[in-house]
Amino acid sequence: MSQTVYLGMSGGVDSALSAALLCEQGYDVHAIYMRNWSRDLPGFKCTWAADLADAERVAVTLGIDLDVWDCEAEYKTTVVDYLVDSYARGYTPNPDVMCNQAVKFGTFAQRAFADGADLIATGHYARTQHATDPAQPARLLRAADEHKDQTYFLWRVPGQTFNRVLFPVGDIPSKAVVRQMCAERGLGIERKPDSDGICFVGEVGIRTFLLDVLDRKAGDIVEWETGRVLGRHDGAFLFTIGQRKGLNLGGGPARYVVRTDTQDNVVYVSANHDCPALLTTELVLEDCHWLAGHAPVARNTLAGQAPADRAPASGQTPVAGDYVVRTRHTGALVPARVEPLPNGQARVSFDTPQRLVAPGQSCVVYDGLECVGGGIVCPDTRPHPRW
Amino acid sequence: MALLTDENNGTSQVDGAYLDYAAATPMAPEVVQAMLPYFTQRFYNPSAPYALAREARTDLEGARARLAHLIGARPDCVTLTAGATEANNLAFAATTGHVVTDAIEHESVLACAEARPHTIVPVSTDGRVDPAVVAKALTPRTQLVSIELANGEIGTIQPIRQIAAVVRSERERRLEASEDTPIYLHVDASQAAGWLSVDVTSLGADLLTLSAAKVYGPKQVGLLWSAEGIPLRPLVLGGGQENGVRSGTENVAGVVGFSVALELAQRERRAEAARVSALRDRLQASLLQRFPWARVSGPQRQKLRLPNLLHVSFPCVEARRLVILLERQGVSVGTGSACAASRMQVSHVLDAIGLPREVSRGSLRMTLGRQTTRRQVDFAADAIERAVTSELQRTGVDEVQLLERYGSSRGAARLGGRA
Repeated sequence: MSQTVYLGMSGGVDSALSAALLCEQGYDVHAIYMRNWSRDLPGFKCTWAADLADAERVAVTLGIDLDVWDCEAEYKTTVVDYLVDSYARGYTPNPDVMCNQAVKFGTFAQRAFADGADLIATGHYARTQHATDPAQPARLLRAADEHKDQTYFLWRVPGQTFNRVLFPVGDIPSKAVVRQMCAERGLGIERKPDSDGICFVGEVGIRTFLLDVLDRKAGDIVEWETGRVLGRHDGAFLFTIGQRKGLNLGGGPARYVVRTDTQDNVVYVSANHDCPALLTTELVLEDCHWLAGHAPVARNTLAGQAPADRAPASGQTPVAGDYVVRTRHTGALVPARVEPLPNGQARVSFDTPQRLVAPGQSCVVYDGLECVGGGIVCPDTRPHPRW
Repeated sequence: MALLTDENNGTSQVDGAYLDYAAATPMAPEVVQAMLPYFTQRFYNPSAPYALAREARTDLEGARARLAHLIGARPDCVTLTAGATEANNLAFAATTGHVVTDAIEHESVLACAEARPHTIVPVSTDGRVDPAVVAKALTPRTQLVSIELANGEIGTIQPIRQIAAVVRSERERRLEASEDTPIYLHVDASQAAGWLSVDVTSLGADLLTLSAAKVYGPKQVGLLWSAEGIPLRPLVLGGGQENGVRSGTENVAGVVGFSVALELAQRERRAEAARVSALRDRLQASLLQRFPWARVSGPQRQKLRLPNLLHVSFPCVEARRLVILLERQGVSVGTGSACAASRMQVSHVLDAIGLPREVSRGSLRMTLGRQTTRRQVDFAADAIERAVTSELQRTGVDEVQLLERYGSSRGAARLGGRA
């Protein structure tokens, strides 16, 4: 009796190939299209119906079931509301992280297992090593294709869940190979462009989306170094650290957002891209989650004890608390020291200053290839210079 | 796909069939020919003052007069629009008060009704509106009754004349009672125009919607006829064209094409209805012979259903998969109104006639038209048989159980005769 896999199918290239590969591997594959929240208003164009049609064509070609599961309510409360709340508080959240935790590896996984699935699968670029004891957490590893690796979005999923998860495209060396493998199998989807961005925001952009829900509020744009008012903005929550476009300061040098203060509705900017306030040697993370179930132990206490396969990518002898971290999807992997703090917090310190990260973004921690977990970046509390 | 393959021209093979004429019709060659000069030679703005432009005006008004003649109306009562949806919106904009409509109308009518006080009357299991129920739904404040002449999804033809009588008698009652609230009957005849008379006088309508796109004319061209004295309120403001009711430079090519298309359609409708209904019946018989448990929706009586339409449901089968399997065999069919299908919603029409969801999700709507041949119908029947059979095999559904559960539609008692 072959094992039953419930596959989340999006209508994209990666999940289409995943379906084909699982069929070839002899699994009994049930494809599920998760219908997420969409804004049914003029201007909010969401492509879900077209994506479902694409998924359906692949399912028919492979002769597998495709069901549509309505995940709208779950998506709305855990992803959309979280997104809006975060922005309103001056954070810049990663909705995909919440979607994976709450919807794809939350509701979807639970419903699939309740429905009789032995395993679930998605088209994510990631790899897992299942634990021999299912009560133990599985290990999550970056994909073979470092340019497509999506572990950045998976750090909040419980490690035990991954014991029953398959990522069929995680071992494939590149997206080009994925497309070629789709073409070889006659799936008819190999030329579909990659999708990125948040589905429900669609083409209108996050600004239009937020302004549909939150009210504009005029405030000052203030120069970080001098305290001089340079112009007006229409809501500090609409701006994020490092942002350059959309300030409408009219001519002059390019200016970058250094801080946003949603409390007093002020946006601080600087013409200096390397302004000290845009750099930091430390990030504090909150709401941390560690796949192994516990915070990473400072590496210096483990020196010499780490199993060979846990050696850092650099291959050098680990020093105190040595990990690599990433603060955006496919961003650079930066060596850092990770130190657990009370209350689910952690401190990440760098030897060389790094660009400041907007609060609300995920900072994901890796031990070599393995994703060990991460946290949500806290606001930088350094005050502005004395004017 | 060899759409134009015909058994008369010596070609014996067909490799496909287009069976979605209710969604879109190919423009008739006569229509294309009539329109072509207006794109390059007679392109003038009908409102311009010089002679060449006035010729364009003359052509536009000539086309309007032909359209009016075809529906038995006066030309100055015909407002040209960009399609039937706009015409329906315009009809609703003439009044603001309570409206009575039925549950299986087109989205453009239902959406307009939902934006104001409204009563939606139910339909029978074959989709018919009961004029007595419409009469009961009327209140002294009702200003509009909107009922389509024929439904585009299950083909039901509505008793418009009887409904018109209901509206007329309410109007007479108000006159006697010295109540000055007006009441109008709006009829959306978009899906009916190729098959039924659309003479406004014999229908007894006050407002009538027609679409060029459903009668082998251009898309985004339609009209609203309104009886004399009904004050239309413009939705598109601007230069005051169409007597101030619909601004924007007139679509001369489209209107000329519309007039030719409607003329052809009305002239050929009886012969075409006879030819096409025989093909439709052949398709229906052949599918029901193979799948006696399949269910045909819409009225059983020939005169009450559009002659080119077959709505058939295969319980426990997913219609969206059938559409994909059929497209791969060159057969294009619909699953319902394109508007609902594009949003993957359950058809409000099938809900309204009480079709259970496990039946309605296996529904195909096939609509035949001018280029449909017997060979195409047979080809489509074979393709549908293959598609349904392969889905049944894939899902392991037992046809004997389907027969026990859903019975046989072949007996006259079940063949749409559930009303």
